[in-house]
Amino acid sequence: MTVYETDIPGVGRKYELELDGDDRLVVVVHHDSKRDVYRRSAETDESTRLFGLSGEQARRLGAVLEGTYFRPVELDRVEVPLGDAIIEWYELAPEAPLADATLAEVGVWSETGAKIIAVQRGGETHPSPNPDFRTRAGDVVVAVGTRAEQESLREYVRPR
Amino acid sequence: MALPTIVELGVVLTALAVAGGLAVRLGQSVIPAYILAGIVVGPSAPVEVAGVPLAVISREGFVEAFADLGLVALLFFLGVHVSFERLVENYRRLLASGLLDFVVNVAIGVGLGVLFGFGPLGTLFVAGIVYISSSAVVTKSLVERGWIADAESEVILGVLVFEDVAIAVYLTVVSAVALHGGTLLDAALRAGTGLGFLGVVAVVGWVGSARIERLLRTPSDELFLLRVLGVATLVAGTARFTSVSVGVTAFVVGAVVGRTDTTDRIERTLVPVRDLFSAVFFFAIGLSTRVAALADLAGLLAVAVVATTAGKLLTGSLAGRLYDLGPRRSFRVGVGTVARGEFSLVLATLAAGLAAAGPARLVPEFGVGYVLATSVLGTLSMRHEDRLADLLGLEFETTGSEGEP
Repeated sequence: MTVYETDIPGVGRKYELELDGDDRLVVVVHHDSKRDVYRRSAETDESTRLFGLSGEQARRLGAVLEGTYFRPVELDRVEVPLGDAIIEWYELAPEAPLADATLAEVGVWSETGAKIIAVQRGGETHPSPNPDFRTRAGDVVVAVGTRAEQESLREYVRPR
Repeated sequence: MALPTIVELGVVLTALAVAGGLAVRLGQSVIPAYILAGIVVGPSAPVEVAGVPLAVISREGFVEAFADLGLVALLFFLGVHVSFERLVENYRRLLASGLLDFVVNVAIGVGLGVLFGFGPLGTLFVAGIVYISSSAVVTKSLVERGWIADAESEVILGVLVFEDVAIAVYLTVVSAVALHGGTLLDAALRAGTGLGFLGVVAVVGWVGSARIERLLRTPSDELFLLRVLGVATLVAGTARFTSVSVGVTAFVVGAVVGRTDTTDRIERTLVPVRDLFSAVFFFAIGLSTRVAALADLAGLLAVAVVATTAGKLLTGSLAGRLYDLGPRRSFRVGVGTVARGEFSLVLATLAAGLAAAGPARLVPEFGVGYVLATSVLGTLSMRHEDRLADLLGLEFETTGSEGEP
């Protein structure tokens, strides 16, 4: 992705970011720190002003866009809050009931209420696995559910 | 009737505040409003309304000093922002469009000067006055209309940069030729020494930019402001001892300081000062404008406005074509360069200093009237550009059709 930067004498600096579909996001940073944001359509070369920000607002927005404003999720704390539900990651031990079984065989959802939303195998991720998806030892199972549901799921993914 | 200075100052600032407020409400540039404020409270007729004296301010004392500071600050800023890098990059198109703009519009100016019988000197001034677009009015309108994000702004700003440099040279030559009389050879010599003086300032700045940076380095914004303003005013002031105009010298000092890494700080600390003093500068122009002369010039002004607006529309459209813009965007380049302002006024003020005889006497009033008309016209035509373009049947070229015959 290329960012074009030009000086605008008497105004400030102009930055153009390439977007998908060859549209461009044009940001004019004024000397007095105000920012104007335009979107320029590749089709017509016409710019539409999207919004303007003060310097302070722009910095705040920038931090939000960058993902540094909210504390990022700590990956070693394998819990992501999701209303009442949480997401947890389980590595399947060879002795776990769910290892080498289809999700339907074990009946994970009907038994525990937790929903398996993805299975990671090696570098690959299988999102929304079907009931006939066969798991293997070493897979990482990603499940969403309440704390109680996660607790009952634990029995199926850990060795007894 | 002489008012105490502090009361006069209050009148000036209040008049400027009221005029500026009205201009903003009408969506106009503040520059013509400031001039009008000066005309209203200045010594020109009408001097009173229903027994209330209007002519309370004359162009003396602090008004003169502030106006000078305004001139220095204005041109200093233009210098700070003139980007030589921009001139160098893409120089062929820029040179071509800049020269086109210069040749056509100066030619129209010369034609007007001859037509009006302004004489050789007056014509020289008229040519400059109608040639140069207003960086201040145009850039502000570009931002307000949102054109700043589009391709045409590059061309418009390119032309403005070219004009800024051209007018610096022009002013030097004109002030050398106009203000001291003598033979052509004398004038040429003076123009030469003037340009030499500017060259020295430029070279000193170029070589010593690290030193200038050190000189200006201080944690205090207040001291920074005073140093910049002090140096700029002092150096520009020494121009009084040469044939170079104060404004041009301030411009060159600005260009020199603009090469250091201080531009952002200058922008932050000096803008309010520039706005204050330049407002007084425009006001002072209004003060010295003879309204009666303005009325006499009405016909000539109308001819000039029509002819030169057509000129700018033509050269702008052609410049747009040089940059491979479509017809509508090229037209926008023309519309964008219609507004004239501060530089034309600087020329008008300069012309006021020369005791010319005959119609050339009216050149300052011509400049003021012309700027009043074109700055308003420029702002209006940018605002209603879509209707004008519809009228002419111009459309945006879609990128999809590019490359097709």
